[in-house]
Amino acid sequence: MTTLARTESPGIAILGLLKQLARQREWSVAALIALTIVIVAIVNRDFLSLDVARNILVAAAPAAIVGCGLTFVIVTGEIDISVGSLMGLCAVAMGQLASPSYANLPVPAAIGLMLLLATSVGFLNGLLVTVGRVPSIIVTLGMLTALRGATELLMNGRWITDLSPGLRFFGTGTFLRVPISLWTTGVVVMASIVLARDTPLGRRIYAVGSSPSAARLAGLSPNRIKLFAFTLTGFLVGVATLVSVPQLSTIESGIGAGFELVVVTAVVVGGTSISGGKGAIIGTLLGVILLGMVRTVLIFLKLGPAATYWERAIQGGFILLAVLIDHLSRPRGRGEEEHA
Amino acid sequence: MTDAPAADLSLTPRQKIFEGGFPYWHEVVLALLLAALMAVAGYLDPRFVQPSRQLMLSTHVWELALLALPMTFIIVTGGIDLSVGSMIALSGVVLGLSHEAGMNIWLCCALAILTGTAAGALNGVFVSFVRVHPLIVTLATLSAYRGIAEGISSGRPLSGFPENFAWLGRGDIAGVPVAAIIFVVAAIVAGVVLWKTPFGRSLYAMGYNETATRFSGIRTRKIKFILYAMSGVAAAVAAILLVGRRNTAKADIGAQMELDVITAVVLGGTSIFGGRGRILGTVLGVLLIHETKEFVSWYFQNDPLIPLVVGALLIVAVLINSALTPRGRE
Repeated sequence: MTTLARTESPGIAILGLLKQLARQREWSVAALIALTIVIVAIVNRDFLSLDVARNILVAAAPAAIVGCGLTFVIVTGEIDISVGSLMGLCAVAMGQLASPSYANLPVPAAIGLMLLLATSVGFLNGLLVTVGRVPSIIVTLGMLTALRGATELLMNGRWITDLSPGLRFFGTGTFLRVPISLWTTGVVVMASIVLARDTPLGRRIYAVGSSPSAARLAGLSPNRIKLFAFTLTGFLVGVATLVSVPQLSTIESGIGAGFELVVVTAVVVGGTSISGGKGAIIGTLLGVILLGMVRTVLIFLKLGPAATYWERAIQGGFILLAVLIDHLSRPRGRGEEEHA
Repeated sequence: MTDAPAADLSLTPRQKIFEGGFPYWHEVVLALLLAALMAVAGYLDPRFVQPSRQLMLSTHVWELALLALPMTFIIVTGGIDLSVGSMIALSGVVLGLSHEAGMNIWLCCALAILTGTAAGALNGVFVSFVRVHPLIVTLATLSAYRGIAEGISSGRPLSGFPENFAWLGRGDIAGVPVAAIIFVVAAIVAGVVLWKTPFGRSLYAMGYNETATRFSGIRTRKIKFILYAMSGVAAAVAAILLVGRRNTAKADIGAQMELDVITAVVLGGTSIFGGRGRILGTVLGVLLIHETKEFVSWYFQNDPLIPLVVGALLIVAVLINSALTPRGRE
């Protein structure tokens, strides 16, 4: 559990501030990213180009968008591991609604219905956690399995290739030479930062995560706030689907498999405490970038075709490294059992 | 995920019925569900419940069942191990590669078990001594171990194992599969350890309040380390059985298995917050999931339906369980 602000004498306040800065997970992640970029740039100059940066960011965009919602969920002390399966379901639903060989709805209607579906599933997750009092890891584990099954039932082994150009635009289109997905990510990230830092609702999310009973005594409704976080995450999965799936040439039932791990990992690497009450959107964004650049880095290091097989090993290593740095910079000698 | 459940000393009358008086309600409900499922299955298609058919289908369950035992221990202490599927892949690939390098097959098995143990022990070190939340540690090693398995094998399948090795996964002794014997022995040992030994009882104490348990003189960190290492051992044994059965080792074996294992344990009545759970419940949970899957796949011939049913089963079972538990306990 996190401790709230402690009172310190002004003399050691500055020293404390510096120490705190070093202890912020954002800094160790940012340092890891910077170090990686420097090393790769020394090996291969071509790495330092706008195209490479854009490709890394576009590939990381869906995880960043969903990561914002998931940060709130984890800050309230819950978790959502169903986002990958929900993305698969949304992709297939959007494809079938818009495709001429299925429902053939106009693009705005298809998008609207898909976002509604995503938001409703998020809301249902929230209801089961709050009203149903089922632990969130169980609810979303069940959803992870069930939604994937539903997606496969819908597709029945087929795939969709005839997406309309209007829908394709959201995946491949650009505005002022910047891809739509990056604009969307920017808007979502900025809105989330404002929500987290400057709105009463955002502060309540942290209050609920720090101490649900204290929040309840202060007149807040933890259930309502958790419900909001789950619903928001569902909606953002829909948004992420909208800007990433139309980039693919085909829509099939496997879309989004393993996505939940990438997002949860990125949020946690970014310093959000899994036991709630602590975490920042900017850390999540850095976590997404760190994990997202691994594949590109492996290609640019020119280690041969076998190197990309090590992607997951290196991602896992990065997480352990981040928590280890965190552990080493943490004050020693505490009696309590504290988890990062 | 926030609050550990506090031990209730004063039980309301309703709690006495459901928890105080007769402690095996969850197991009874599971057994009834299992019986109902088998009855319906037998009515719809009598061939499904024939012993020979059941024996044949049972080959799919032993690895899952084996992994569920240490997982029950871990979840009882309030932890979790998401990396079991990846530890299977890593042990399996080490087995395959060392065999390919021309080593004696039993030496390869020993190496695989060593790998699994080391992988589990590394989880244990991070959970117990670096004191990182087990969800994060095992999420990291879920990626890392499968990544290493993919890396050292370059993703290619490894096969050509000798016949006497395949016997472990496919063979039988007097009609009983070898894997089943291994599981039954392990389950009895696990049940007795959890039920009767001070070690087992201390796991429940840790699940309720780890700090208090540590202050009462129980070496909680050492215990957690042992549990995660045991999970690695079980994963390695499961890998040997799985590779023996399929005669192929590949870096994608055991993918998503952690979900099935956790689902089975939680369905079996083990609280995800720790402090509650029994091996008998886990065994019933494993059986219920196994029979549900096999029946759906057998009767409807529709594989996508399986995850839909299993996911719904998990949520509904826990929903019912939480509805029966009076408010204010969580």
